[in-house]
Amino acid sequence: MASFSATSSLSFFSVRANNPQARPETVEQVCEVVRKQLVLPAERPLLPDTKFSELGADSLDTVEIVMGLEEKFDIEVAEESAENITTVQEAADLIEKLILKKGEA
Amino acid sequence: MASAVPPPVRSEVLLLFRSLLRTAREFADYNIREYTKRRTIDAFRQNRDLSDPSAVVAAFADGKSQLEVARRQVIVHSLYAPKVKNVMEIKH
Repeated sequence: MASFSATSSLSFFSVRANNPQARPETVEQVCEVVRKQLVLPAERPLLPDTKFSELGADSLDTVEIVMGLEEKFDIEVAEESAENITTVQEAADLIEKLILKKGEA
Repeated sequence: MASAVPPPVRSEVLLLFRSLLRTAREFADYNIREYTKRRTIDAFRQNRDLSDPSAVVAAFADGKSQLEVARRQVIVHSLYAPKVKNVMEIKH
């Protein structure tokens, strides 16, 4: 009985651990890079889930944003991962994952 | 020409763009690094709306040869890297 409930709560925690949300500071820094690249006026709100394309970015802008993030956080984003970044949240999550991996290396 | 070269797909173009920007970063000289970055971005933006396939193929080929030039120059310039940092690189 006890072991059954233990394993079910364990699987719940591992699901949470596999999809951590990025820290607010990371999200904030990503927003800075995006704002600068897309020249967004300060009043324009930037939500983590807004797609770059909605902000008027084209694919060249997205590449430049990813490059800017690589430089800001001192990380290397692989080609395949870079193609999947479409929002601030996705960028921040990937950045934190890469920083963690870098720390472990 | 017997058969036309197929124009590059979007992912190839973006990969070339990224490769050029990555190569630019390897230059030790601030001026050359910034120029390479700027020129790449300007050229790709300028050619963004090309519709004629042969023009696209020509632009892509030009980009690829420029990438090779940049890669060679990174190596050559590293032999003569400036000893003093450019004033623009000094953080305040």
